[in-house]
Amino acid sequence: MTDYANEPAVANLRDYLRIRSVHPNINYNECLTYLRRQAVELGLPVQVVEAVPRKPVLVMTWEGLEPNLPSILLNSHMDVVPVFEKSWTYPPFEARIVDGVIYARGVQDMKTTGVQYIEAVRRLKSRGIRLKRTLHLSFVPDEEVGGHNGMSEFVKTDHFRNLNIGFALDEGLASPDDNFVVYNAERSIWHVTVTCPGK
Amino acid sequence: KTDNTNPYWVAFKSVADEMKLKLDCRIFPGGTDSRYVRRVGIPAIGFSPMNHTPILLHDHDEFLRADIFLRGIDIYVKLIPAVANV
Repeated sequence: MTDYANEPAVANLRDYLRIRSVHPNINYNECLTYLRRQAVELGLPVQVVEAVPRKPVLVMTWEGLEPNLPSILLNSHMDVVPVFEKSWTYPPFEARIVDGVIYARGVQDMKTTGVQYIEAVRRLKSRGIRLKRTLHLSFVPDEEVGGHNGMSEFVKTDHFRNLNIGFALDEGLASPDDNFVVYNAERSIWHVTVTCPGK
Repeated sequence: KTDNTNPYWVAFKSVADEMKLKLDCRIFPGGTDSRYVRRVGIPAIGFSPMNHTPILLHDHDEFLRADIFLRGIDIYVKLIPAVANV
């Protein structure tokens, strides 16, 4: 069995998974600290936008050779849904590796994707590759509670418009079989509020 | 759109074909941040490179094999330049 714990990308992922950015009432400061460190390592500038107070959006930017072209957005969210800790075989914020498998809240949804973007950029940069279009890596808050204080507000800002995005990637889902699933649309979400006044 | 009118999709698909990734295009069963991005007119694809993985988001014992994670990095190393060099 490969010792994945010594793999730098795996170690980096586990650091992110150990941050308890779990609902409710998330303080995103620890995520920002982690992501700023990543950006320093990658040599990329960072901007933090608070379209809603205490709901920061962090954007790392890798300028392309033709920065006037529409850019590419690689988006991921920093928050994760709550846990029933007693129902877990291993502690959900320890990111334990057992037989080559990482157990953690957020390992599928979707801290892994954010780290994969970072690690891919790290590898491309280390090979001296430059891209034609500018790449923006955005890390947004509160997707799991509907994004109303996160991406929903961020897209309305001048800051977002100035990113001049032409195409975006975001999370999909795991697939139990050989296929990779790609989503080009979503169902409409209709939240219904049920009020039970009691007796 | 996942057809020839979207040059980014064409680039995405051609890299997937080159890497022999079997793609399955669907409507996402829930809602993600992509809906806000699409609403302002930007084409967006939902993709997490996790095959051979049971769907455990929001569940107890959410897990991912480390080799699937590392393979995902390899995939993005090809995918990102493809869409960024359109």
